[in-house]
Amino acid sequence: MAKANRRRTLTIRRGLTNVYLMAVVLTLVVLVQATLLARVRLIGATPNLLLVVVVCWSLIRGLYDGLVWGFVGGLALDVLAGLPLGTSSLALMATTPLAGLGKNSVFPGSLTLPILLVALATPVYGWVVLLSEMIRGIPVDWLASTVRIIGPEIAFNAALTVIAYPALRWLATHYRPTQMEW
Amino acid sequence: MSRVSSRTFLVFALAAVSVVLLILSSSNRLGPVEGALSSAGRPFLITFSGLGRQINNMVTTARDLATLRGRNNQLQTMVDTLTIDNLRLQEAESENERLRSLLRFRQLNPNYDFRGGQVIARVIGKTPSNYLQSITIDLGSEHGIKPGMPVVTERGLVGRIHKVGALSSTVLLITDPSSGVPALIRGNRLSGIVNGRAGGQPVMEFISQDEKIALGDTVITSGLGGNFPKNLVIGQIVEVRQRDYEMFQQATIRPTVNFDRLEVVLVITNFQPLPGEPGEPESVG
Repeated sequence: MAKANRRRTLTIRRGLTNVYLMAVVLTLVVLVQATLLARVRLIGATPNLLLVVVVCWSLIRGLYDGLVWGFVGGLALDVLAGLPLGTSSLALMATTPLAGLGKNSVFPGSLTLPILLVALATPVYGWVVLLSEMIRGIPVDWLASTVRIIGPEIAFNAALTVIAYPALRWLATHYRPTQMEW
Repeated sequence: MSRVSSRTFLVFALAAVSVVLLILSSSNRLGPVEGALSSAGRPFLITFSGLGRQINNMVTTARDLATLRGRNNQLQTMVDTLTIDNLRLQEAESENERLRSLLRFRQLNPNYDFRGGQVIARVIGKTPSNYLQSITIDLGSEHGIKPGMPVVTERGLVGRIHKVGALSSTVLLITDPSSGVPALIRGNRLSGIVNGRAGGQPVMEFISQDEKIALGDTVITSGLGGNFPKNLVIGQIVEVRQRDYEMFQQATIRPTVNFDRLEVVLVITNFQPLPGEPGEPESVG
């Protein structure tokens, strides 16, 4: 009985740590995205730190953690960006299954996989946003948007991954020891 | 088994909530909620925006110092010290200068169709999305701001008010693909529509094929359609595209406003756009 109670307390504590961690990291990321990174505009695009963080977190902690981060972060970004609520959430959640591709990587510390996944996730994110706009009846120039916005964004996001992934890995190991699943 | 089911349920639940929010938000039924959330985030946005400006200034200063170091070491030391000492002073001074320029703009343009009623607003955020070219200013419905009001600087037209919260508003820039501004070329009075382009400079379309367009000509608002006042400067023609098989020619425009360095703008509050404003402005590509 006491053992069960201890286990329940541990689970609740771990859950709360996850929520606090998510709140702090996502608040910082969205504010940095909205204020600091919005000033970094090269070749017509800005880096998307939130996308990088969600993809990397999905890779580190798994698909379902990534989904929740994508949902919450997307809503916050939509409020600040003035996009209709839910647009970024849907787009970010659509990118998280990609992380499933690398979940069982034998080289978790390697940067190659996260960079590759971020590079793949960037067009997925962009196209989902474009698709949602098209469904709402707004004219979309797919080719121009892909070439002029998504193209440069892939390069910026890949560069951001080099910094974001190790930082998130440190956070993940520091705030919750790796669990072994059998 | 139940673990898998609950996780699958989570995926569908989050996706469903997102879709429902998207539908409600697109039909403007979440306006008050979005406004309240936007107001709640405003103090943080202002704080981080100020921090961003400081970092921006420091990066620029560091770049300048690197150049000076190569030329003169003594001068470098002096500039270094003065820059650090006077950083805050310089910021206040440049802000003062910008505000003065805006007021001068109003005084030097008495022949415009608008008069007075302009509100000086501070740009507190640029859009974090690549798919919407907009800025946020620290004026909202409590300051008399309404959707559709034109926004300018002393250099020319910036855009128009798109979404209004209680204490802040979003300005849709003329570079956004969904933005269309009726315009005319100052030299030969040819009219057309200036549309934004994804990741590129705006283009003036629907210009008659018969007339010649000179590079460097100034493009101003025509006032047609009633969404913008007349004679506001938009930019200069930098490229003309004329093809014999097309009905119209196009001109690429370099806006006079530097959208990457916008800090203070003016909202023309006494200009009432005609009803039947262009629809959904959130756009892409």
